[in-house]
Amino acid sequence: MSDTPCQRSLYQPFDCEIITVTDLTSAEKLFRVRRMDGLPLGHLPGQFVQVSLLGWGEAPISVASSPTREGAFELGVRNAGSLTSAMHLMQAGDTFGVRGPFGRSFDLQRLHGQDLLLISGGCGLAPLRSLIQYCEDRPDEFDQITVLYGAKSPGDRLFKDELAAWEASARFACSLTVDSVPGGDCFSGSVGLITALIPPLTIVPENTVAVVIGPPAMYRAVIAELKKKELGPERIVVSLERQMRCGVGKCGHCTIEHLYCCQDGPVFWLDEIEHLRGAL
Amino acid sequence: MIKLTSDQLDQFITSLAEMWEVRLPILLSDGTRIIGSLKDGPLALLGGAILSKPTAAFFPQHGTVFIATEDGVPESTDSLQPIFILGFTPRDLACLRFIDRFFADGFCDDLYFHQRKSAVVAGISGYCGPYGSLLAPAGGDCDLEFFWEGSSWLVIPYSSAGKALVAEFTDSAPPEAENRYRQAVMTPPDENERFLRRASELLRGNSVPDSFWVEIGDRCIACTGCNLACPTCTCFGVQDWRSAKRVERSRMWDSCQLDGFMREASGHNPLGSEAERSRRRIHHKLAADPEKWGEISCFLCGRCDAVCPTGIGIIAVARELVTRFG
Repeated sequence: MSDTPCQRSLYQPFDCEIITVTDLTSAEKLFRVRRMDGLPLGHLPGQFVQVSLLGWGEAPISVASSPTREGAFELGVRNAGSLTSAMHLMQAGDTFGVRGPFGRSFDLQRLHGQDLLLISGGCGLAPLRSLIQYCEDRPDEFDQITVLYGAKSPGDRLFKDELAAWEASARFACSLTVDSVPGGDCFSGSVGLITALIPPLTIVPENTVAVVIGPPAMYRAVIAELKKKELGPERIVVSLERQMRCGVGKCGHCTIEHLYCCQDGPVFWLDEIEHLRGAL
Repeated sequence: MIKLTSDQLDQFITSLAEMWEVRLPILLSDGTRIIGSLKDGPLALLGGAILSKPTAAFFPQHGTVFIATEDGVPESTDSLQPIFILGFTPRDLACLRFIDRFFADGFCDDLYFHQRKSAVVAGISGYCGPYGSLLAPAGGDCDLEFFWEGSSWLVIPYSSAGKALVAEFTDSAPPEAENRYRQAVMTPPDENERFLRRASELLRGNSVPDSFWVEIGDRCIACTGCNLACPTCTCFGVQDWRSAKRVERSRMWDSCQLDGFMREASGHNPLGSEAERSRRRIHHKLAADPEKWGEISCFLCGRCDAVCPTGIGIIAVARELVTRFG
């Protein structure tokens, strides 16, 4: 027991500075962040970081921006716990720690040349945005790109300006929906579950990959619709949320049977995990 | 093979204290045997495995990740005296070998290896089990092994570090003592191994109905004793302890038997019932770890069965699984 190769501490965060903070909804903010040492984060679309706030601990947060957008990275953060509450009080110029990036990214090689069907619900748009931005910046790498997004209500939609831009873009076919519109709200968009957006689509199964990210209840319903379109599990990608405490496959909180979501995922091909208990 | 009398062993251990932080089985005044220091109690090598988690020597219940002062700059960690630890039974050594692999795989866990990499681990075996029963020799998995042959210790060094520690001694074991060692090596496997392997096959073959886990879950009182005693349980939580001028980030053992173990901020809980959590505890050792690591991660140390107040330690559950489902 003398040749074990340990480098610098796994658990030591590096410092980051907040450049801007933007309200996405009443509960979610977007933090634009840069490393204090000037280095790029070095992530790929689909990866996450462990955000570290001294006194509050750590929380796993998906990177919401593409590595093609240099100089900074972005984190979409819902106010859902003590750490994220503390984070929501932070402003431009404040600093916090980050470890990572961690986890398996989207398999860009396998997505290359494919029609992409990018489906997200609620907060799932934040991690998917890293891939959507990548597609915007590398348009020649993919065939047709369709973006479907569902939120609970118009006020719960993330990245409203970008959604509008994607709807207007010739590069994307973009369909948006909300589950319901609270009384008194004025909304002219589509109302209904995100599953209703799939049947009208024309999908070429042998040349399409669907990427699905959303709350746990959304996966089964959306995947069932995709299978009706004869899209096999080897052509469906999911990104799973788990309570990663370490990000490096040690703490055990994110296991799915023999897999560690923080290392083997969070991005999985459906055929890797659909047979595993508790995965979806 | 070196032979040491008990007095010679005492002298040997005393001689180590200058260079090493010596940890070994001691007897407390209440009759408990723990891994500790001779300052806290007399040596108590005989009696078999220590009930508490032996791998806590390198993966403590509460361990500092780092300490940050007011300006957020982490304080440096002082270098520590290397550990010499004696008292791992052969089954404990198998557990240690397993978690060595676990913590080294992929991202190497520097907190674990901080003291583990410079430690010397000595196993004990021979007729030093409960009531003089035989602990079959480990034959490896440690730096050196102490085999109690009834009246003296046979010392078998394996690693270069182990050989260096006993270099001053000459091979002195008489042929009959070596014969006793060789006979002990031939000890047939524990019958519980058969149950464990068969239970693993049943789980990996999805031959266990959910109703079984509901029954086991109903019997679990979530005391977490199984996880806290298990030498291969490595799950931990991370938390910050705030005081006036500093923050200590630490990690602490966690238990998959607790409702909050996997619960996410969104409220989603993949282990949301006692049944799911009980299944996870057993399935992880007998099915998930064999899938990932190629071996069952229970080495039949018996601690979870010994501490469980409701009789659902892994050996008991494995036996019940095999009895009911083949």
